[in-house]
Amino acid sequence: MRKHNDEHLKQEQIIWAVVDEKELSEGDQLHLMRCQLCQDRVAQFMTELQVFGERAEFSVPPLTKILQMPAPERSTAKYRLSWIPFAGAAAMAGLVFFFYFLGMDAMSPKWTTVEGPDNLLEDEYLMQEISEIVEYPLPEELYEITGDAADIDDDFLEFVVPDFQENSQS
Amino acid sequence: MIFIPFRGQARGFKLYSLCLLNFDESGRCYGRMTTEESKNMSLKIAGLAEKAMAGNRGSFQELMTMLQEDIYRLAYYRTFSQMDAEDITQEVFVQAYKKIKTLHDPQRFRAWLYTIAVNRCNDFLRKKKYLFLLQSRSAQEQEFVEADKMDNDYTDAIAKKKFWEQVRLLLDKLSTMERQVFTLRFMDHRNINDIATILGKNESTVKTHLYRALNKVREESLFFQEYRELIS
Repeated sequence: MRKHNDEHLKQEQIIWAVVDEKELSEGDQLHLMRCQLCQDRVAQFMTELQVFGERAEFSVPPLTKILQMPAPERSTAKYRLSWIPFAGAAAMAGLVFFFYFLGMDAMSPKWTTVEGPDNLLEDEYLMQEISEIVEYPLPEELYEITGDAADIDDDFLEFVVPDFQENSQS
Repeated sequence: MIFIPFRGQARGFKLYSLCLLNFDESGRCYGRMTTEESKNMSLKIAGLAEKAMAGNRGSFQELMTMLQEDIYRLAYYRTFSQMDAEDITQEVFVQAYKKIKTLHDPQRFRAWLYTIAVNRCNDFLRKKKYLFLLQSRSAQEQEFVEADKMDNDYTDAIAKKKFWEQVRLLLDKLSTMERQVFTLRFMDHRNINDIATILGKNESTVKTHLYRALNKVREESLFFQEYRELIS
Protein backbone atom coordinates (compact mmCIF):
# COMPACT_ATOMS: atom_id res chain seq x y z
CA MET A 1 0.00 0.00 0.00
CA ARG A 2 1.31 3.38 -0.92
CA LYS A 3 1.76 5.83 1.87
CA HIS A 4 2.19 9.01 -0.14
CA ASN A 5 -0.50 10.24 -2.45
CA ASP A 6 2.00 11.96 -4.68
CA GLU A 7 3.44 8.65 -5.93
CA HIS A 8 1.95 7.43 -9.19
CA LEU A 9 0.03 4.19 -9.32
CA LYS A 10 1.96 1.04 -10.15
CA GLN A 11 0.99 -1.30 -12.95
CA GLU A 12 -0.92 -3.67 -10.68
CA GLN A 13 -2.88 -0.77 -9.22
CA ILE A 14 -3.77 0.41 -12.71
CA ILE A 15 -5.13 -3.05 -13.41
CA TRP A 16 -7.09 -3.04 -10.15
CA ALA A 17 -8.48 0.34 -11.10
CA VAL A 18 -9.71 -1.18 -14.36
CA VAL A 19 -11.25 -4.12 -12.50
CA ASP A 20 -12.87 -1.95 -9.83
CA GLU A 21 -11.65 1.37 -8.45
CA LYS A 22 -13.10 0.51 -5.06
CA GLU A 23 -10.52 -2.25 -4.72
CA LEU A 24 -7.81 0.41 -4.42
CA SER A 25 -6.84 1.77 -1.04
CA GLU A 26 -8.26 5.13 -0.01
CA GLY A 27 -4.91 6.79 -0.62
CA ASP A 28 -4.68 5.35 -4.11
CA GLN A 29 -8.25 6.32 -4.91
CA LEU A 30 -7.48 9.85 -3.75
CA HIS A 31 -4.36 9.96 -5.91
CA LEU A 32 -6.24 8.67 -8.91
CA MET A 33 -8.85 11.38 -8.49
CA ARG A 34 -6.20 14.06 -8.52
CA CYS A 35 -3.52 12.70 -10.88
CA GLN A 36 -4.26 13.23 -14.56
CA LEU A 37 -1.40 10.95 -15.66
CA CYS A 38 -2.70 7.97 -13.68
CA GLN A 39 -6.24 8.69 -14.87
CA ASP A 40 -4.99 8.65 -18.45
CA ARG A 41 -3.18 5.36 -17.94
CA VAL A 42 -6.29 3.74 -16.50
CA ALA A 43 -8.48 5.25 -19.21
CA GLN A 44 -6.12 4.11 -21.94
CA PHE A 45 -6.12 0.52 -20.75
CA MET A 46 -9.89 0.57 -20.41
CA THR A 47 -10.27 2.04 -23.87
CA GLU A 48 -7.97 -0.60 -25.34
CA LEU A 49 -10.14 -3.28 -23.84
CA GLN A 50 -13.27 -1.54 -25.00
CA VAL A 51 -12.01 -1.19 -28.55
CA PHE A 52 -10.98 -4.82 -28.46
CA GLY A 53 -14.52 -5.76 -27.38
CA GLU A 54 -16.05 -3.67 -30.14
CA ARG A 55 -13.72 -5.17 -32.71
CA ALA A 56 -14.70 -8.63 -31.55
CA GLU A 57 -18.35 -7.72 -31.83
CA PHE A 58 -18.02 -6.46 -35.38
CA SER A 59 -15.89 -9.43 -36.44
CA VAL A 60 -18.57 -11.94 -35.56
CA PRO A 61 -20.29 -13.25 -38.70
CA PRO A 62 -23.96 -12.34 -38.88
CA LEU A 63 -26.57 -14.68 -37.51
CA THR A 64 -27.99 -16.45 -40.56
CA LYS A 65 -30.13 -19.10 -38.93
CA ILE A 66 -33.78 -18.29 -38.37
CA LEU A 67 -34.39 -19.14 -34.78
CA GLN A 68 -37.48 -21.16 -34.18
CA MET A 69 -39.83 -20.35 -31.36
CA PRO A 70 -39.87 -23.30 -28.94
CA ALA A 71 -43.00 -25.43 -29.03
CA PRO A 72 -45.53 -24.63 -26.30
CA GLU A 73 -45.31 -26.85 -23.29
CA ARG A 74 -48.38 -28.84 -22.28
CA SER A 75 -49.72 -27.73 -18.94
CA THR A 76 -49.63 -30.31 -16.15
CA ALA A 77 -53.39 -30.09 -15.53
CA LYS A 78 -54.19 -30.66 -19.20
CA TYR A 79 -51.65 -33.47 -19.32
CA ARG A 80 -53.38 -35.16 -16.39
CA LEU A 81 -56.83 -34.65 -17.90
CA SER A 82 -55.71 -36.09 -21.21
CA TRP A 83 -55.41 -39.49 -19.54
CA ILE A 84 -59.08 -39.63 -18.55
CA PRO A 85 -60.51 -40.63 -21.97
CA PHE A 86 -57.80 -43.28 -22.34
CA ALA A 87 -58.54 -44.65 -18.87
CA GLY A 88 -62.29 -44.72 -19.66
CA ALA A 89 -61.71 -46.54 -22.92
CA ALA A 90 -59.48 -49.07 -21.17
CA ALA A 91 -62.13 -49.67 -18.49
CA MET A 92 -64.80 -50.15 -21.14
CA ALA A 93 -62.62 -52.62 -23.02
CA GLY A 94 -62.04 -54.48 -19.76
CA LEU A 95 -65.76 -54.75 -19.09
CA VAL A 96 -66.47 -55.95 -22.63
CA PHE A 97 -63.88 -58.68 -22.30
CA PHE A 98 -65.16 -59.63 -18.87
CA PHE A 99 -68.75 -60.08 -20.05
CA TYR A 100 -67.63 -61.75 -23.24
CA PHE A 101 -65.74 -64.45 -21.39
CA LEU A 102 -68.55 -64.76 -18.87
CA GLY A 103 -71.00 -65.43 -21.73
CA MET A 104 -68.67 -67.97 -23.27
CA ASP A 105 -68.51 -69.82 -19.99
CA ALA A 106 -72.28 -69.91 -19.64
CA MET A 107 -72.76 -71.22 -23.15
CA SER A 108 -70.13 -73.94 -22.98
CA PRO A 109 -71.40 -77.67 -22.80
CA LYS A 110 -71.64 -79.16 -19.35
CA TRP A 111 -72.04 -82.78 -18.04
CA THR A 112 -75.29 -82.98 -16.16
CA THR A 113 -76.69 -85.93 -14.11
CA VAL A 114 -79.91 -87.58 -15.21
CA GLU A 115 -82.26 -87.46 -12.32
CA GLY A 116 -85.76 -88.32 -13.68
CA PRO A 117 -87.32 -91.86 -13.05
CA ASP A 118 -88.15 -92.19 -16.70
CA ASN A 119 -84.56 -91.68 -17.60
CA LEU A 120 -83.48 -94.30 -15.06
CA LEU A 121 -85.92 -96.83 -16.53
CA GLU A 122 -84.66 -96.17 -20.00
CA ASP A 123 -81.15 -96.78 -18.79
CA GLU A 124 -82.15 -100.06 -17.27
CA TYR A 125 -83.74 -101.21 -20.53
CA LEU A 126 -80.68 -100.17 -22.36
CA MET A 127 -78.46 -102.16 -20.03
CA GLN A 128 -80.66 -105.23 -20.47
CA GLU A 129 -80.39 -104.95 -24.23
CA ILE A 130 -76.67 -104.65 -23.94
CA SER A 131 -76.47 -107.74 -21.70
CA GLU A 132 -78.58 -109.71 -24.15
CA ILE A 133 -76.41 -108.69 -27.02
CA VAL A 134 -73.37 -109.78 -25.02
CA GLU A 135 -74.94 -113.11 -24.19
CA TYR A 136 -76.42 -113.78 -27.60
CA PRO A 137 -74.39 -111.92 -30.12
CA LEU A 138 -75.53 -113.98 -33.15
CA PRO A 139 -78.91 -113.84 -34.91
CA GLU A 140 -81.52 -116.46 -34.03
CA GLU A 141 -81.18 -118.29 -37.38
CA LEU A 142 -77.61 -119.09 -36.62
CA TYR A 143 -78.52 -120.47 -33.23
CA GLU A 144 -80.98 -122.92 -34.94
CA ILE A 145 -78.16 -124.27 -37.02
CA THR A 146 -75.91 -124.73 -34.08
CA GLY A 147 -78.66 -126.19 -32.00
CA ASP A 148 -78.42 -123.69 -29.25
CA ALA A 149 -81.81 -122.30 -30.07
CA ALA A 150 -83.70 -125.67 -29.85
CA ASP A 151 -85.18 -126.88 -26.59
CA ILE A 152 -82.53 -129.31 -25.80
CA ASP A 153 -82.31 -130.05 -22.16
CA ASP A 154 -79.66 -131.89 -20.15
CA ASP A 155 -81.43 -135.27 -20.20
CA PHE A 156 -81.53 -135.26 -23.94
CA LEU A 157 -77.91 -134.46 -24.09
CA GLU A 158 -77.17 -137.28 -21.63
CA PHE A 159 -79.00 -139.60 -23.87
CA VAL A 160 -77.15 -138.53 -26.93
CA VAL A 161 -73.82 -138.30 -25.27
CA PRO A 162 -73.65 -140.56 -22.21
CA ASP A 163 -71.28 -139.70 -19.41
CA PHE A 164 -68.02 -141.60 -19.75
CA GLN A 165 -67.44 -142.14 -16.03
CA GLU A 166 -70.86 -143.61 -15.47
CA ASN A 167 -70.31 -146.11 -18.31
CA SER A 168 -66.98 -147.28 -17.02
CA GLN A 169 -68.40 -148.03 -13.54
CA SER A 170 -71.25 -150.11 -14.83
CA MET B 1 -44.95 -22.93 -36.62
CA ILE B 2 -43.66 -19.49 -35.79
CA PHE B 3 -40.43 -18.12 -37.16
CA ILE B 4 -38.52 -15.25 -35.69
CA PRO B 5 -37.01 -12.85 -38.19
CA PHE B 6 -33.47 -11.96 -37.22
CA ARG B 7 -32.68 -9.18 -39.63
CA GLY B 8 -34.24 -5.80 -39.69
CA GLN B 9 -35.39 -6.05 -36.11
CA ALA B 10 -34.57 -3.50 -33.47
CA ARG B 11 -31.47 -4.95 -31.97
CA GLY B 12 -31.62 -3.51 -28.53
CA PHE B 13 -28.90 -1.91 -26.50
CA LYS B 14 -25.68 -2.81 -24.88
CA LEU B 15 -24.34 -1.75 -21.53
CA TYR B 16 -20.66 -0.96 -21.54
CA SER B 17 -18.37 -0.56 -18.62
CA LEU B 18 -17.36 2.96 -19.43
CA CYS B 19 -20.17 4.20 -21.57
CA LEU B 20 -23.58 3.16 -22.69
CA LEU B 21 -23.55 2.54 -26.40
CA ASN B 22 -26.48 2.37 -28.74
CA PHE B 23 -26.67 0.10 -31.77
CA ASP B 24 -28.62 0.32 -34.97
CA GLU B 25 -30.38 -2.52 -36.77
CA SER B 26 -27.21 -3.88 -38.32
CA GLY B 27 -25.50 -3.97 -34.96
CA ARG B 28 -23.31 -0.93 -35.52
CA CYS B 29 -22.67 1.48 -32.73
CA TYR B 30 -24.10 4.90 -33.48
CA GLY B 31 -24.10 6.71 -30.23
CA ARG B 32 -24.23 6.63 -26.52
CA MET B 33 -27.19 5.30 -24.68
CA THR B 34 -28.37 7.35 -21.77
CA THR B 35 -28.79 5.92 -18.31
CA GLU B 36 -32.50 6.55 -18.66
CA GLU B 37 -32.65 4.50 -21.88
CA SER B 38 -30.68 1.72 -20.26
CA LYS B 39 -33.05 1.68 -17.30
CA ASN B 40 -36.05 1.61 -19.63
CA MET B 41 -34.49 -1.27 -21.53
CA SER B 42 -33.94 -3.26 -18.33
CA LEU B 43 -37.49 -2.54 -17.25
CA LYS B 44 -38.80 -3.65 -20.62
CA ILE B 45 -36.87 -6.92 -20.42
CA ALA B 46 -38.10 -7.49 -16.87
CA GLY B 47 -41.70 -6.77 -17.91
CA LEU B 48 -41.51 -9.14 -20.84
CA ALA B 49 -39.84 -11.79 -18.68
CA GLU B 50 -42.64 -11.51 -16.16
CA LYS B 51 -45.26 -12.02 -18.86
CA ALA B 52 -43.27 -14.89 -20.36
CA MET B 53 -43.11 -16.50 -16.93
CA ALA B 54 -46.91 -16.33 -16.84
CA GLY B 55 -46.98 -18.29 -20.11
CA ASN B 56 -47.19 -15.49 -22.66
CA ARG B 57 -45.49 -16.78 -25.80
CA GLY B 58 -45.52 -13.42 -27.51
CA SER B 59 -43.45 -11.87 -24.73
CA PHE B 60 -40.94 -14.66 -24.91
CA GLN B 61 -40.74 -14.22 -28.65
CA GLU B 62 -40.01 -10.54 -28.16
CA LEU B 63 -37.29 -11.34 -25.63
CA MET B 64 -35.84 -13.80 -28.10
CA THR B 65 -35.76 -11.17 -30.82
CA MET B 66 -34.11 -8.67 -28.48
CA LEU B 67 -31.45 -10.95 -27.07
CA GLN B 68 -30.72 -13.51 -29.78
CA GLU B 69 -27.75 -11.68 -31.21
CA ASP B 70 -26.17 -11.17 -27.79
CA ILE B 71 -26.48 -14.89 -27.09
CA TYR B 72 -25.23 -15.74 -30.55
CA ARG B 73 -22.13 -13.59 -30.06
CA LEU B 74 -21.53 -15.09 -26.62
CA ALA B 75 -21.59 -18.53 -28.21
CA TYR B 76 -19.36 -17.44 -31.07
CA TYR B 77 -16.70 -16.04 -28.70
CA ARG B 78 -16.46 -19.47 -27.15
CA THR B 79 -16.84 -21.77 -30.13
CA PHE B 80 -15.37 -19.61 -32.94
CA SER B 81 -17.83 -21.32 -35.26
CA GLN B 82 -20.84 -19.66 -36.83
CA MET B 83 -22.78 -22.88 -37.26
CA ASP B 84 -22.16 -24.10 -33.73
CA ALA B 85 -22.94 -20.69 -32.27
CA GLU B 86 -26.25 -20.60 -34.13
CA ASP B 87 -27.19 -24.07 -32.92
CA ILE B 88 -26.25 -23.19 -29.35
CA THR B 89 -28.34 -19.99 -29.56
CA GLN B 90 -31.37 -21.99 -30.58
CA GLU B 91 -30.79 -24.52 -27.81
CA VAL B 92 -30.40 -21.75 -25.23
CA PHE B 93 -33.78 -20.26 -26.07
CA VAL B 94 -35.47 -23.67 -26.12
CA GLN B 95 -34.05 -24.42 -22.69
CA ALA B 96 -34.95 -20.97 -21.41
CA TYR B 97 -38.53 -21.38 -22.61
CA LYS B 98 -38.85 -24.73 -20.88
CA LYS B 99 -37.33 -23.53 -17.62
CA ILE B 100 -38.68 -19.99 -17.46
CA LYS B 101 -40.96 -20.85 -14.55
CA THR B 102 -37.90 -21.63 -12.43
CA LEU B 103 -36.76 -18.02 -12.75
CA HIS B 104 -37.61 -16.26 -9.50
CA ASP B 105 -36.80 -12.66 -10.35
CA PRO B 106 -37.74 -11.28 -13.78
CA GLN B 107 -35.16 -8.53 -13.25
CA ARG B 108 -32.47 -11.22 -13.49
CA PHE B 109 -33.73 -12.66 -16.76
CA ARG B 110 -30.76 -11.49 -18.79
CA ALA B 111 -28.19 -12.85 -16.34
CA TRP B 112 -30.17 -16.08 -16.09
CA LEU B 113 -30.21 -16.42 -19.89
CA TYR B 114 -26.46 -15.81 -19.99
CA THR B 115 -25.98 -18.53 -17.37
CA ILE B 116 -27.80 -20.98 -19.59
CA ALA B 117 -25.77 -19.88 -22.59
CA VAL B 118 -22.42 -20.18 -20.79
CA ASN B 119 -23.34 -23.64 -19.52
CA ARG B 120 -24.44 -24.76 -22.98
CA CYS B 121 -21.15 -23.53 -24.42
CA ASN B 122 -19.18 -25.34 -21.74
CA ASP B 123 -21.07 -28.56 -22.48
CA PHE B 124 -20.47 -28.10 -26.18
CA LEU B 125 -16.74 -27.51 -25.72
CA ARG B 126 -16.47 -30.54 -23.46
CA LYS B 127 -18.10 -32.74 -26.10
CA LYS B 128 -16.05 -31.17 -28.84
CA LYS B 129 -12.84 -32.06 -27.05
CA TYR B 130 -13.64 -35.74 -27.61
CA LEU B 131 -15.07 -35.31 -31.08
CA PHE B 132 -12.06 -33.29 -32.15
CA LEU B 133 -9.97 -36.45 -32.39
CA LEU B 134 -12.39 -37.90 -34.92
CA GLN B 135 -12.45 -34.88 -37.17
CA SER B 136 -10.26 -34.95 -40.24
CA ARG B 137 -10.06 -31.22 -40.37
CA SER B 138 -9.50 -29.01 -37.37
CA ALA B 139 -12.25 -26.70 -36.20
CA GLN B 140 -9.94 -23.80 -36.81
CA GLU B 141 -9.49 -24.64 -40.48
CA GLN B 142 -13.19 -25.26 -40.84
CA GLU B 143 -13.96 -21.93 -39.30
CA PHE B 144 -11.70 -20.15 -41.73
CA VAL B 145 -13.46 -21.85 -44.62
CA GLU B 146 -16.75 -20.64 -43.17
CA ALA B 147 -15.36 -17.15 -42.85
CA ASP B 148 -14.19 -17.21 -46.45
CA LYS B 149 -17.56 -18.39 -47.67
CA MET B 150 -19.28 -15.82 -45.57
CA ASP B 151 -17.36 -12.77 -46.65
CA ASN B 152 -17.11 -11.74 -50.21
CA ASP B 153 -14.73 -9.04 -49.25
CA TYR B 154 -11.50 -10.95 -49.17
CA THR B 155 -9.52 -8.31 -47.30
CA ASP B 156 -12.15 -8.11 -44.63
CA ALA B 157 -12.17 -11.89 -44.32
CA ILE B 158 -8.40 -11.94 -43.91
CA ALA B 159 -8.53 -9.21 -41.28
CA LYS B 160 -11.20 -11.09 -39.36
CA LYS B 161 -9.29 -14.33 -39.66
CA LYS B 162 -6.18 -12.66 -38.28
CA PHE B 163 -8.14 -11.05 -35.50
CA TRP B 164 -9.69 -14.32 -34.35
CA GLU B 165 -6.32 -16.03 -34.54
CA GLN B 166 -4.98 -13.40 -32.16
CA VAL B 167 -7.99 -13.74 -29.88
CA ARG B 168 -7.53 -17.48 -29.74
CA LEU B 169 -3.87 -17.09 -28.84
CA LEU B 170 -4.71 -14.53 -26.21
CA LEU B 171 -7.47 -16.58 -24.62
CA ASP B 172 -5.34 -19.73 -24.68
CA LYS B 173 -2.97 -18.03 -22.26
CA LEU B 174 -5.72 -17.68 -19.68
CA SER B 175 -7.07 -20.33 -17.33
CA THR B 176 -10.66 -21.48 -17.82
CA MET B 177 -12.06 -19.17 -15.16
CA GLU B 178 -9.92 -16.22 -16.24
CA ARG B 179 -11.10 -16.74 -19.80
CA GLN B 180 -14.74 -16.91 -18.71
CA VAL B 181 -14.49 -13.75 -16.63
CA PHE B 182 -12.49 -11.81 -19.24
CA THR B 183 -14.83 -12.77 -22.07
CA LEU B 184 -17.96 -11.93 -20.11
CA ARG B 185 -16.52 -8.59 -19.00
CA PHE B 186 -14.92 -7.22 -22.13
CA MET B 187 -16.55 -9.12 -24.98
CA ASP B 188 -20.05 -9.73 -23.64
CA HIS B 189 -19.97 -6.43 -21.70
CA ARG B 190 -21.36 -7.75 -18.44
CA ASN B 191 -20.68 -6.02 -15.15
CA ILE B 192 -19.04 -7.68 -12.16
CA ASN B 193 -22.33 -8.33 -10.42
CA ASP B 194 -23.79 -10.01 -13.50
CA ILE B 195 -20.67 -12.11 -14.02
CA ALA B 196 -20.83 -13.29 -10.41
CA THR B 197 -24.46 -14.33 -10.95
CA ILE B 198 -23.77 -15.99 -14.30
CA LEU B 199 -20.83 -18.02 -13.02
CA GLY B 200 -22.26 -18.64 -9.55
CA LYS B 201 -19.25 -17.07 -7.83
CA ASN B 202 -18.93 -14.20 -5.41
CA GLU B 203 -17.84 -10.81 -6.66
CA SER B 204 -14.41 -10.83 -5.02
CA THR B 205 -13.57 -14.15 -6.73
CA VAL B 206 -14.65 -12.68 -10.06
CA LYS B 207 -12.50 -9.60 -9.47
CA THR B 208 -9.49 -11.69 -8.57
CA HIS B 209 -9.81 -13.77 -11.74
CA LEU B 210 -10.36 -10.64 -13.77
CA TYR B 211 -7.26 -9.04 -12.30
CA ARG B 212 -5.18 -12.12 -13.16
CA ALA B 213 -6.61 -12.21 -16.65
CA LEU B 214 -5.88 -8.53 -17.24
CA ASN B 215 -2.37 -8.96 -15.89
CA LYS B 216 -1.74 -11.62 -18.53
CA VAL B 217 -3.52 -9.69 -21.24
CA ARG B 218 -1.51 -6.57 -20.46
CA GLU B 219 1.65 -8.52 -21.18
CA GLU B 220 0.41 -9.03 -24.71
CA SER B 221 1.54 -5.57 -25.63
CA LEU B 222 1.80 -6.45 -29.32
CA PHE B 223 -1.80 -7.51 -29.42
CA PHE B 224 -3.00 -4.21 -28.06
CA GLN B 225 -0.53 -2.11 -30.01
CA GLU B 226 -2.95 -2.01 -32.90
CA TYR B 227 -5.69 -0.69 -30.66
CA ARG B 228 -3.40 1.86 -29.07
CA GLU B 229 -2.58 3.20 -32.50
CA LEU B 230 -6.24 3.20 -33.36
CA ILE B 231 -7.09 5.13 -30.22
CA SER B 232 -4.23 7.60 -30.56
